[in-house]
Amino acid sequence: MANSSAKPLIRRHAEIGIFLIGAVLIVIFASTSDGRWANLYNIGTILQVTATLGLMSLGVAVVIGTGEIDISVGSTFGMGALAYLWLAAQVDPAIAAVAAVLVGAAIGLFNGLLVTRTGTPSLIITLGTLMIFRGIAIALTEGFSFSIPYAARKGWTYFVLGGGDFLGFNTALYWLTTLTVILLAALKATPFGNRLLAVGGSAESAHSRGVRVDRIKLSAFVLCGTLAGFAGTLEAGKLGFADGSMGRLMELQAIASCVLGGCLLAGGRISLPGALMGAFVLSSIQSYLVVTGVRPQWFILVLGLIVVLAAYGDRSLRQWALRK
Amino acid sequence: MKQIVRSQGFGAIIGVVVVLVVFSLIDFSGWWTAQTITNVTQFTAILSFVAMGQALVIMTKEIDLSVGSVYGLAGVAFITLEPSFGVPGSLVIALVMAAFVGLLQALTVVKGHLPSMIVTLGGLFAVRGIIYVWTGGSVHNFSADARIHPVTRLFGGELFGVEAAIFWLVVVAAVLGIVLRATPFGNRLLATGGNRESAESRGVRTDRVKIWAFVLCSLLAGFAGILTLCNQPQTHVTLGENMELEAISAAVIGGCLLTGGRGSIIGAVLGALIVVSFRYELIALGAPSSWYITFVGVVLIVAVIFNQKLARFLGHSV
Amino acid sequence: MENSNPLIQVKNLDLHFGAFHALKNVSVDFHAGEMIGLVGDNGAGKTTLIRVLCGIYAPTSGEVFFDGNKVQKFHPKLAIDQGIETIQQSVGLCDNLSIARNFYLGREPVKRVLGIPFLDMGKMREKSTRVIRQFGLRANVSADDEVERLSGGERQSVKIGRAVEFKNRVVIMDEPTNHLSVREREHVNELAVQLKEQGLLVIYITHDIFQVHKLADRIVIMENGEKVADATTDSMTAEELEEVIRQGGRVVEKREAV
Repeated sequence: MANSSAKPLIRRHAEIGIFLIGAVLIVIFASTSDGRWANLYNIGTILQVTATLGLMSLGVAVVIGTGEIDISVGSTFGMGALAYLWLAAQVDPAIAAVAAVLVGAAIGLFNGLLVTRTGTPSLIITLGTLMIFRGIAIALTEGFSFSIPYAARKGWTYFVLGGGDFLGFNTALYWLTTLTVILLAALKATPFGNRLLAVGGSAESAHSRGVRVDRIKLSAFVLCGTLAGFAGTLEAGKLGFADGSMGRLMELQAIASCVLGGCLLAGGRISLPGALMGAFVLSSIQSYLVVTGVRPQWFILVLGLIVVLAAYGDRSLRQWALRK
Repeated sequence: MKQIVRSQGFGAIIGVVVVLVVFSLIDFSGWWTAQTITNVTQFTAILSFVAMGQALVIMTKEIDLSVGSVYGLAGVAFITLEPSFGVPGSLVIALVMAAFVGLLQALTVVKGHLPSMIVTLGGLFAVRGIIYVWTGGSVHNFSADARIHPVTRLFGGELFGVEAAIFWLVVVAAVLGIVLRATPFGNRLLATGGNRESAESRGVRTDRVKIWAFVLCSLLAGFAGILTLCNQPQTHVTLGENMELEAISAAVIGGCLLTGGRGSIIGAVLGALIVVSFRYELIALGAPSSWYITFVGVVLIVAVIFNQKLARFLGHSV
Repeated sequence: MENSNPLIQVKNLDLHFGAFHALKNVSVDFHAGEMIGLVGDNGAGKTTLIRVLCGIYAPTSGEVFFDGNKVQKFHPKLAIDQGIETIQQSVGLCDNLSIARNFYLGREPVKRVLGIPFLDMGKMREKSTRVIRQFGLRANVSADDEVERLSGGERQSVKIGRAVEFKNRVVIMDEPTNHLSVREREHVNELAVQLKEQGLLVIYITHDIFQVHKLADRIVIMENGEKVADATTDSMTAEELEEVIRQGGRVVEKREAV
């Protein structure tokens, strides 16, 4: 029977749900928009948005995998973008990018240290840092924006860092692909990945097996901050400017992508391809609303409903699959 | 004395004293003026309503991230519907809408067995989206008639030179405090958050308790929105944005532990006072308004760690 | 046995959790090739003592010697590296991971590719498959199945199998036969005796004095965080020991006073 073979598959691959949703949405969007949605240019735009959102979602997924959460990534993203643009105007953009990523990593480290050293719920800590770094980002720009004029953005470093297209797709997409493969390998095929998921599954059991739980959590936070900082760099590289509100609400979209992609908030079960697909679905919906002329205000409403529906659908699917 | 130290709001009491002393020291003349005190108390009252609701939800070991949007929705509904339903009519409708949002979220959490963080995160988006779609980004105002309507004055006016919101706060905080400490419902609410299985084994309908907590939370957030607009009858699509962060901060500063089962109403009010004081003093000191968010973040983190240490010191298992 | 140095020596151990005094001046020796029954009521401190030995708690004061060396740092990783394996009631397996991944959690075998450590899944699968067959798990359970699917007895079998497989020097069994069927329980007990005969130190924690009296060489009884009795099974019958527990250790105090 089809059911009996589908169950174990779904049990092991939580991301199947989002891929089904994605496929259905693509068909609907393509058939109801007279080719305004499903053309190479628009898909390219969607993938560019997916790339930066996806990088953040990967980081958030890793943190969710340890049973914690990081909602400060929106601000980290903004700080990364500002750091990159501010420095790129003065030094080589490659150095600026490294610095921006380090800023992200430092914020991640700050989060991780606070969470692991004080044993405080990560929701509250990262809620606090979300506000702290948003405030700093706005204060740094003093209401203006950092920008590098298009004419000045010449040279291969700008090109590589989200500023250009390669084979029709923004270079950010290639970064996303590479980093996804690396992270996927690290998660599935290294001791680090094994321990990370073990910490999320049962921190107590992992501890009793000699896994240094705090160290794993700390590295997850650092990784998440790093990826968010890098995503900010790529976005800034694409746009050429950033203001203090850069990345606002992105943290919510990143978490939504993870939930859509079948990551269990309780920890231990995450899917990186699922999180990416979640990011793609969110960007697709946003783009669909734009090309069909729906007021963009609807996006936020739709986003809210989708988050809840996805969480519910995911849970129902999983429960169905677990039933014997 | 020992009882005060052991009470959940003790950390907040220390915090309030520290904040008042520090602000008096660095800016005595700017801080202790009638203008500042009026503003601080007014906004404290408004934030307190949202924070008290949040505290109730956190005590049941859930969280409500949607309060900022609900606060905005109630405010927008109150102003926008006033021409068709009059001040009392639109007020009731606004509160019903707020309660309905709370009920809907609560049912999704309880019946769908979903984490409240995700559901209310969705609620945060969806309700904000409704505000955007509904108002189309335009600004609404009260007519001159509506501004002097007795109901508007009742919630937004002054009495003996004190803002009406303060009186409402005193009444509601007292009622909630009594409900929490001296009624079966309060006992069950704390039990639900403290240990759900045990509460259920004693016959407490924890689902129902949670639904009530969410509905009360949204209702209080909506009421806060109405109080704000009675005082300053002008809406904006961003009304209440980031308010959920302030409310959670206030509740946590006031001694609510996210592990559930512990918290206090008076603590939430004091927490709100601390948050609002920071906002005012930073502006008064001429800091860019954005530093305010940073400071709320810092205060939140410091408060949560401090309260946790305090709770552990007192021998609670946290 | 009495002549050799103890493998684990605990001296004047004290442990406080906040205001709670969990272990009070506990001193006890454990020798290799010995099977110790650690008995006491709930909250008597037996699990706490064990958690110090396997590095989960650090003592407030007192010393622990392992193989003659003083233990400086308490961490599960260090305890496992020294060859102390614990089988606990509810801890030890992560539901979300496969049996093979759980089996090697914390000390995964790796194959290095370009210097990057990758999991040696082949080896992990092969070894854990052998062990789960040996310990009588259902035939349709594979090493790639998540632990979530296993029954209580099967989980216990995996944990014991893991302890056996890693050739440890100390195996601590914390209520290993709770929630097990009669047949599974006998299987586990046989295994414990086998481990001892191979020269390991086995510490067997239980409420059930009669069960452990049959197996163990020596019984240590804890009460209120204190050691109240320490006797070989030859010198005291199970009934006498049970009386000690019932009296909350007072019988022994009298004897020591005499």
